[in-house]
Amino acid sequence: MRRLAFLLAGLALLGAGCGGKSSSGATGHLVIAVDVPVTGSPYVAQTIRQGVELATSNLNGGGGVRVGDKSYLLDVKLYDNHLSARTAVEDARRAIGAGAVTIVTDGTGVDATWQLAKRAGVSIAITHDGGTGLVNAETRPNVFRIAPTNHGIAFRYAEYLIPKKLKLGLLSDDSAYGREGAADIGRAFSGNPDSVALKLTLPAGQTDLTPQILRARRSGATALLVWGQPPTIAAVLSASRSIGWQVPVYTPPTGSDPFIRQQLADHPEWVDGLTFAGGRLTAEVGTGPFVNFQSQYESTYGADQVGVKNSQGQAVVQPPEFAMYSYDFIHVLLAAIQHAASVDPGKVTAALNQVTTQGANGDERGFNEHSHEGVVDDDVYFARFHDMTYAPVSDDPLSATLPLITQTRAQ
Amino acid sequence: MRRALLAAVAAALLAPAAALADVQQVLLPGPTPFPTPSPPLQTVGAPPWATLTFKIHASSDQRVHAGVDGQGRVVSVRVLQDLHLTGTGDYLIVVSAPVLDVRAGPGSQSEPGQRRGQILWSGFSSKRRLLAADATLRAGPVRPYLPLRLQARRDGDRYELTLTNTTTTSEVAFQGSGTAKELAALLDRTRRDSLAHRRLRPAYVTIRGLVSQRATKPEIAAPLRVEGELRFPAAPSEASGATLEGRTVRFSFVLGDEQPLTHRIQVSGGGEPRLRLEARPDNVVRGLTPPGGAASWSTAVARRPLAANALLVRLVDTRMELVRSDQFQGFLANPDPLGRDRTVYVYATTAAVASRAAGGSSGGNSGNGVLMALLAVAGSVLAAGAALVAWAHS
Repeated sequence: MRRLAFLLAGLALLGAGCGGKSSSGATGHLVIAVDVPVTGSPYVAQTIRQGVELATSNLNGGGGVRVGDKSYLLDVKLYDNHLSARTAVEDARRAIGAGAVTIVTDGTGVDATWQLAKRAGVSIAITHDGGTGLVNAETRPNVFRIAPTNHGIAFRYAEYLIPKKLKLGLLSDDSAYGREGAADIGRAFSGNPDSVALKLTLPAGQTDLTPQILRARRSGATALLVWGQPPTIAAVLSASRSIGWQVPVYTPPTGSDPFIRQQLADHPEWVDGLTFAGGRLTAEVGTGPFVNFQSQYESTYGADQVGVKNSQGQAVVQPPEFAMYSYDFIHVLLAAIQHAASVDPGKVTAALNQVTTQGANGDERGFNEHSHEGVVDDDVYFARFHDMTYAPVSDDPLSATLPLITQTRAQ
Repeated sequence: MRRALLAAVAAALLAPAAALADVQQVLLPGPTPFPTPSPPLQTVGAPPWATLTFKIHASSDQRVHAGVDGQGRVVSVRVLQDLHLTGTGDYLIVVSAPVLDVRAGPGSQSEPGQRRGQILWSGFSSKRRLLAADATLRAGPVRPYLPLRLQARRDGDRYELTLTNTTTTSEVAFQGSGTAKELAALLDRTRRDSLAHRRLRPAYVTIRGLVSQRATKPEIAAPLRVEGELRFPAAPSEASGATLEGRTVRFSFVLGDEQPLTHRIQVSGGGEPRLRLEARPDNVVRGLTPPGGAASWSTAVARRPLAANALLVRLVDTRMELVRSDQFQGFLANPDPLGRDRTVYVYATTAAVASRAAGGSSGGNSGNGVLMALLAVAGSVLAAGAALVAWAHS
């Protein structure tokens, strides 16, 4: 009889500990699903996952999330979407089945997963893909994003480049990312056709783009705006520099991907001058908050090594930008849980519209009923590479106010 | 001899001290605080957590569109607020308002966000930026803070519109013994600010002896300049309190500033009018006009003695009126407390449909009632159809 009582008590404890949203006992568990391309884009997957894990481990270290008289620990469940929408749908089903309160994703398959998640009241947080149309507060009320948007980047580029009186070659690769970016860039420059020398689609994955670059040169382009995956950008730089064309090259955030520097490590001067747009890493309060976050990130996971060195032989590291976005989303989610005073996914998703927290860079992060974008267009800045590291440009009003983030580590 | 000398020295030292202890500088009303918490509108909820940094300044221009029904009752409120930012830096602005919906207004260089009871702006200003919000507000909570109340009545062929300045509030005021010369100078300074439509600058008055509270609290109202017209389907036969021009009755007057707070317009014939008027918080003109045609209060005091007590009452009361007027210049909050505010209140007869919708949204359930009636009718038709089919197959 006593054995049976112990067995029942043990089962009850297990139930309380493992349930998605257990309602009995003093501590419950909340599942945070992370659906990222572990095998398709490992750097992106790793940085998003680590941002989520860093935030949840901090929160769990403080006793978890308190709702009423009960505490909840946050459990991270990792799914690999292989950059496949079909896999993302399967992952979303499994995450919802596991009781996830939210799904943090790079953006793969969101067009197919958001409705599944919506039916369960579950929110989706995109922390990488800036694709226009992925997020719409009215038609996709459960989809949120903390990452620079393609639309914002395109319009900021128009604002930045048109006054320079350049003749732009608008190049994009034929990946989904490239096609979406081309559409946004096309819209942003539609009012100033004189600024555009040509529009050209590049084959994604092709390593030799010399014919296309020669064509761009013949068109009279005095600068290239290349919207594509990192290999495409590396190929454009390689082709243009190898024919001796020192044309300025501008890119979306993919221009900062370590892959490009790794590919061009033998010709570091080819990377010099490459300008990319990204979400600002620091707020007006200065570098303090981001540096604190970065040191915490690096002490937990180590620095994200780019795999190249600068001219002084120092190892170059990548600031954890996308980790910051997923880290920030977990904090906004926590604020929403507390605002809703509930762990019910539907209530938490609704409360995401009503809260703001301080992000890892010192800026406010939050959403509202009209906008589910956590990075506003105004927060897009431009940075230029020199000696394998980048610094904010000085000829843009926002960028000029931003400090330099150290990107080298002593060996 | 030495004692006498010491006594004389002591008396000389003490006399000014005693005199000084008898005199004090008292802060006059203005530019703040405002006598009531609203306007600017506030909402119950999380307080705004952000304003502007010292690097950014903002001025605010607003048009408050109050839709009124046939009785003059406000049934819808829409506010167009232009925030003109100057300076370079980040901004995060939260404007409290019982907002139903907000969109970017004409020329806006950013999109506003919306939360329960809040309009949000966030971004980076590079020297200049226009943030224009076109916000629809819930009429119920806003109505008490509008500066003008309209009441329209019809008695047979006779139409009567009563317009009342509703900004009146009673305020605590001080009294004491001042000097006519200084008070006149302060009145002149206040008058210059008022005529220039400048916000009051802080000012002190010298009071000898005790400063006490006035026995009765003065009733203070913001002067309100009202201009508008009533358009009738047919030409009225006569109008009083306004000018009749064919089918249109025009009016222009100030409510307050030593003029009545209520104005009545009576019209005979013409049918059911459509109203449109603009009301603007105004400066104080009459209350600060020097007596006897003098060019200034200082000149008036130099010509003939004026009672200092009366001058102090006038100075305090007119400054409180200007503060009250300034308060209604900012119907929605300006994130820059030192920024310039301008608000125009537009009252216009709203379409009947809009009126019903707004009435429903402000507490009524008429929309649901109509829906239920339609559903009931549709249900009856379906039921009848089903019965007919069942009968045909029986």
